[in-house]
Amino acid sequence: MTLRQILILLAVAACILLLLPGLGRYSAYIVYVVAIASIGALALNLLIGYCGQISFAHGGLLGVGAYAAGNFGNAGQDMVVALAGAGFVTALISVMIGLPALRLRGLYFAIATLAAQFILEYLFRLLEPLTHGVSGLLIEPAPFLGFGVSTDRGYAAVSIILLVLSLIGVSRLLRTDLGRRFILIRDSEMVARGMGINVARTKFWAFAISGFLAGIAGGLLAFTTRIAAPEAFEIALSVDYVAMIIVGGLGSLPGAVIGAFFVVLLPEVVQRLGEYFNAATQTSAIREMIFGLLIILFMIYEPRGLNSLASRLWRRWRGAGTKPAKTPSGAMDLRPSSEPAE
Amino acid sequence: MLTARDVTIRFGGVVAVNKMEIDVRPGEIVGLIGPNGAGKTTFVNAISGTYIPAEGSIRWHDEEIVGRSPSYLARIGVGRTFQNVASLNDLTVLDIVKVGRSVRKPSGGLRQFFFGNRRQDNDLTDKFLEPLGLADHRDSPLQVLSYGHRKAVDIARALAGEPDLLLLDEPVAGVAPAEAFALAGFVKRIRDQLGCAVVMVEHKMDVVMSTCDRIVVMAAGAKIFEGSGAGVQSDPEVRRVYLGDA
Repeated sequence: MTLRQILILLAVAACILLLLPGLGRYSAYIVYVVAIASIGALALNLLIGYCGQISFAHGGLLGVGAYAAGNFGNAGQDMVVALAGAGFVTALISVMIGLPALRLRGLYFAIATLAAQFILEYLFRLLEPLTHGVSGLLIEPAPFLGFGVSTDRGYAAVSIILLVLSLIGVSRLLRTDLGRRFILIRDSEMVARGMGINVARTKFWAFAISGFLAGIAGGLLAFTTRIAAPEAFEIALSVDYVAMIIVGGLGSLPGAVIGAFFVVLLPEVVQRLGEYFNAATQTSAIREMIFGLLIILFMIYEPRGLNSLASRLWRRWRGAGTKPAKTPSGAMDLRPSSEPAE
Repeated sequence: MLTARDVTIRFGGVVAVNKMEIDVRPGEIVGLIGPNGAGKTTFVNAISGTYIPAEGSIRWHDEEIVGRSPSYLARIGVGRTFQNVASLNDLTVLDIVKVGRSVRKPSGGLRQFFFGNRRQDNDLTDKFLEPLGLADHRDSPLQVLSYGHRKAVDIARALAGEPDLLLLDEPVAGVAPAEAFALAGFVKRIRDQLGCAVVMVEHKMDVVMSTCDRIVVMAAGAKIFEGSGAGVQSDPEVRRVYLGDA
C-alpha cells in the first residue's frame, strides 16, 4: 500500500467514525459485523491468497479466538489485552494446524485442515472448563482501553479501528522480505526452495500471523455477540470465509473487505427477499445455494474476484484505453500443483 | 574450495549422475558442457542442495554439504540460477532481487515493516539491475518481461546474495546472441568484482569458449574430459560424444 492509499484508507475510516453517532443501531451493527468479518477474511487471505496454503480450519480458529478472548475478558482484562491474548493463543493453534503443511501441499493440505476444523469443533464441546460445552460461554462486556464500548456504535468504532490497523499492518508486511517470500511460496514452492528460501520457517510465520489476526477477529465476535458457542464456529463458517476471499479476490487486500461485505450482506438481502415472498423458512437453503453458485461463477469468470472486476470497471470508466494485462495465470490455482520435475 | 567426488544420483533405476567429480577454485569460471541428458543440471542440483546424491561427497570450504538444505547453502554462499525461469505473478523485478539478497544478507524485518528500505532498493538497482539493463524494469512484474530479461532477472537475483559460488544453469539458452554475449561479459565482470567462482552449464559453445577458464565435459553422468577450450575441440572422446562415431 502506498502512502496515498494509506491516507485514503484513514480518511474513509475517519468518515465512518464521524458518521457513527448518527447511525441507527442496525447500521452500526452492519458496520461492525462487516469490519470483523473483514479482519477474519484478511487473515485467511494472507494465508491462502498470499502464501498459497488452503485452509478450511478458519472457522475453528475464529472460535479459538472467541473462547480465548472471552475467558480473558471474563477474568477482568481490558478488551485490548483480551484481544491480544486471543491473538497469541490463536497464532499458536494456527501454527499447529500448519504443521502438516511442511509435508503436504495444495488440496492434500486442505484436507488436513478440514480434520483440524473437526477436532476444534469437538474440543469446543469437550473442554467445558474453558468453553462451557454446548451451552456456550457467556461473555461479560469489557472496556476498551478503559472506555466503555458495549453499544453497537462502540463496537463499530473498535472494529473499524482494528480493521484499519490490520489492513495497514498486512500491507506493510507484504513489503518486507517475509511478505515477498509468502508470495514466492504461493507461486511456486519449488522455485522458492531452490532460491534458498527456508520454506518451513516462512510458512510458520504465515500461519502465526494469519492466526493472530484470526484470533482478534474471533475475539471481537465474542465481545460483540456476548457468547461463544460451538455451533457458531463450524465448518460452514470456514466455507463462508473461503467464499469471502474468493468472491472478493484472492491475494488482494481490498478484496478481503469487499468479500466480507458481500458475504455478510447477502444473507441479510436473502432474508428480506424471503420475508417479502413469505418464504422465510427456505432462505437459509437459498443462501447456501447462492454461495455455491457464486463461487463457481467467480472461479470461472473472475478468478481474481470482485476487486479485480471493480478495478477493471474503474479503468474503463476513466477511459484509460490501455487494456489491463490479462492475468489468467494470476489467479491462484486451486488444483494440485503440477510443477515440472526439473 | 568446491570439491565433489564420486557423486552418484539415481532416479529409480536410472543413474543420472555416475561418479562425477569436479574441483572449482576461488575466482574461477568453469564451464560444464555435455550432450542433452548428460546429467549436468542434475549435478548442479546436487551441489545446490535440491537433490541429495545417493553416494559421494561434495565439500565446500572443507565442510561436507551433502544433505544440506538449499536455504542453508544459500546462506553460506552457494547461489544458483535456473534453466527455466519461473513465471511469477505479483512480484516485481526489484522484489525478486530483494528476495535473492535476503537469503544471504537478511535485513531487519521490523525496520522494513515500519520504514521500508529505499536506500537498499537503490543500491540493489545500481549494483545488479543497471549492469544487466534492467533498471528501467525494476517495478515491472516478471510476466511482462521478455524471456531474455527474465533470465537476466534470475541472474541478478542470484548475484544480489553476493555468493561465493555461483551456479549458472544455461544462463543464455534461448536468449538472442547479442544479449547472450552481454550476459556472459557481465558474468565475467561480476566474477572480477565479487571474486566468486562460477560454474556455468551451457550449450552455446562460443559463449562457453569466450567466458570460461576451464571446461568440464560430461556424458552419461560422468566426466569425460577436463581442460582448456582448445583441448575440448580436439579431444577425440568429446568429438565422439558430440558428433557420433565417424
